[in-house]
Amino acid sequence: MVVTGRAVLLALVATVAVALSGLVGAEATAVALTVLVLLLALDIVLAASPKAMRLSRDGDTSLRLGDSATVYVTVTNPTRRRLRGSVRDAWPPSAHAVPRGQPLRVPAGERRRVTTALTPTRRGDARAAGVTVRSVGPMGLAGRQRTLPAPWTVRTLPPFHSRRHLPGKLSRLRELEGQHTAMVRGQGSEFDSLRDYVPGDDVRSIDWRATARGDGVVVRTWRPERDRRILIVLDTGRTSAGRVGDTPRLDHAMDAALLLAALAGRAGDRVDFMAYDRRTRAQVRSSGKGSQVNRIVEAMAPLEAELVESDPAGLVGTILGTQGRARRLVVLLTDLNATALEEGLLPKLPALTSRHLLMVAAVNDPAVDRMAAERGSADALYRAAAAERTLGERRRVTAELRRMGVEVVDADPEHIAPALADAYINLKAQGRL
Amino acid sequence: MTAAAPPAPPRDSAPHRTPPKEGSRALRAWRSVRVPAALITAFVTVVVLLSLGTEQFPTGHLEPGSISPDGTRALVNVLEEDRDVHVVRSSPAAEEAVSEAGDDTVLVVFLDHRLLPEELESLAALDVDTVLVRPSTPSLEAFVPGVEMTGREEPEGFPEPDVAYSPECDLSAAEAAGEAYVGGELYTAGSGVDAVGCYPGGSGDALVRVRHDDGTTTTVLGTGGPLTNAELDSGGNAALALNLLAAEDVVWLRPDPPQQEGSSGLWELLPLGLRWSLVPLVAMLALLALWRGRRMGALVPESLPVAVRASETTEGRAGLYQSRKARDRAATALRAGFLDRVTPKLGLSADAVPGAVVATVAERTGDDPAHLRSLLYPEPPDPYAGNDDMLVKLADELDERARRLR
Repeated sequence: MVVTGRAVLLALVATVAVALSGLVGAEATAVALTVLVLLLALDIVLAASPKAMRLSRDGDTSLRLGDSATVYVTVTNPTRRRLRGSVRDAWPPSAHAVPRGQPLRVPAGERRRVTTALTPTRRGDARAAGVTVRSVGPMGLAGRQRTLPAPWTVRTLPPFHSRRHLPGKLSRLRELEGQHTAMVRGQGSEFDSLRDYVPGDDVRSIDWRATARGDGVVVRTWRPERDRRILIVLDTGRTSAGRVGDTPRLDHAMDAALLLAALAGRAGDRVDFMAYDRRTRAQVRSSGKGSQVNRIVEAMAPLEAELVESDPAGLVGTILGTQGRARRLVVLLTDLNATALEEGLLPKLPALTSRHLLMVAAVNDPAVDRMAAERGSADALYRAAAAERTLGERRRVTAELRRMGVEVVDADPEHIAPALADAYINLKAQGRL
Repeated sequence: MTAAAPPAPPRDSAPHRTPPKEGSRALRAWRSVRVPAALITAFVTVVVLLSLGTEQFPTGHLEPGSISPDGTRALVNVLEEDRDVHVVRSSPAAEEAVSEAGDDTVLVVFLDHRLLPEELESLAALDVDTVLVRPSTPSLEAFVPGVEMTGREEPEGFPEPDVAYSPECDLSAAEAAGEAYVGGELYTAGSGVDAVGCYPGGSGDALVRVRHDDGTTTTVLGTGGPLTNAELDSGGNAALALNLLAAEDVVWLRPDPPQQEGSSGLWELLPLGLRWSLVPLVAMLALLALWRGRRMGALVPESLPVAVRASETTEGRAGLYQSRKARDRAATALRAGFLDRVTPKLGLSADAVPGAVVATVAERTGDDPAHLRSLLYPEPPDPYAGNDDMLVKLADELDERARRLR
């Protein structure tokens, strides 16, 4: 049951009337209250039943973090009464649905569409909580309200801020392929084709044997290896929950992973994706050429950092067991946390590195660097010393990983995505994939 | 594109998202009320304990229960040692007390301006010795016709007035008491009245005893001052008071202020309609609350992500160092950080022996190798871990070396 401001006004009128009634106050009160209750009850009974409304939905199902999505609810009124009142499409608070409620009039037998704009501030799935229909009677005094289910999910995808680095990295990649306008010889290691020498080509690339067979001078062209397999592994364990700046490590790692996936997709490599802590949280397997980025973005959207310790043994087992036997580049996005890595990952590394090339990428925290530079008082030095200790452990575990043949990319949140892309391009240039 | 991403894991899979168990609702309710409940209980307890320590005494001029200077509790307590004192607050109660008391009774009347004329008449008609303390004019006329107030000498000084009066009469009660700090209103008995005046002042007597035809006496005292707690022990005040009230039963009449009878309160004065309008007013307020308070559907819950800074463990370790004053550990960490940064620049490997590092750094910076050695690789006890100032000095020296090696 709901009442409106009009009902309050009516009660106010009744109050004034009774106050002015003088000696017949008791009778006036009885009459006023009876009239008030009767009018309210009549209005409630005459209001169109909100329970009878039929709802259907359409609208956007996914958006990038930072964008807005629009969802629609169509309210169909199958009753013979006119529905007047208001409607609210309820979403979780972080979806920032506007407007919160809006007036609604649906004549009998017709339908109306209600628009709600969502601007989510959190990645992941936002589920509609229900549509509340409030129906007020013909006098506008009182009515009924009901919350009806109208399921809908809007998936908020990772923002992929590092997209802006993609053109620069792609041009570096093209340099490798020899397609660059600067006529620089492709530095790839895979033999591509023979073609006629043009002035400006590197004389070292002249294929003398082929030249001897034909008329003109023939040069070999090279190109980077293609069709290499890359597996991007996202660690969603407890260390990924820590916030660097205002964003969890996990989101920085996603950003870097997306840039790498986009780049590798353009370079002709096959990208697989996996998110793992103690079990597989998400997985995308490449199924041929073409960009996997969209599918990876979809798979990443609902991922949240889990407050469990990651299980590197299980991770290594999963990679070795289910991901085929071909050599691949495994890019593990995690934290260079000395304890977690030394106890978990390092003992398992030989099994992995003997078959695959492993690259560990981690986001370091500029706040720790700032702490390490604090000076002036003993308290500041204690903080600096604690930060130095953290940095020292990080350096030690980095050195340890490198000694075992692991590529390590350690950069702050601003630079982790381009640094990872550069590391990938360097590997490709060296032909180590 | 044959393989697809596996379905998203169920959102409630992780332990920290486990929904609260049944029964924890009662627990939560108890948790939310226990602090206010404890506070209220403590408050009530304190108030009760405090109120146990204090006893409330009535206050007022010549009030028999009052312990303030202008009360008369001291006199009442003295009287109660060997006679019955009946404190009454109205003239009917006084008449009843007089009739119930024995033959040897004295009625003391204070503040009789609070009594109505007919009450004074009926009191005057009682067959009992009476003491009037500073009576009003109607009271004088009712009790002792013929005695008039002829002057007033308000004594100065408190608690002991500066003027003491001597009895100068043959009234044994006054003579025995001797000098007393009476005063106030002075009375003169007219001719034809069987009266004795004591404590003469300029224009009358401060105490007049009138003997009536029926054998009873009425004593008029010009002031209640001698009877108060403050002045009772001054001069002959106490003796005078006890002598005047020498009887087996003392009926002590201090009337309460007269109550207004038959007056109507604000509520009765309001028109009937206005009073009845409270009922629809309450209904209106209820509707107003319902109108403003009714929500459009339930609140939508949302599980929030954990918000923990990645530097949390580092901050925690800094706090530990600080609370334990772990200067040795801090110095070790600062040195290790310095060496980690410097040795690659010097072309040394990470596991270079101390001697090589000291030699190289000394060569590049021009420092004394012995000093450098104590700075970078001190012999225990570490000279830089002695106090905070030395730790600050260590950091400064390391920074200086790092700057020169840049």
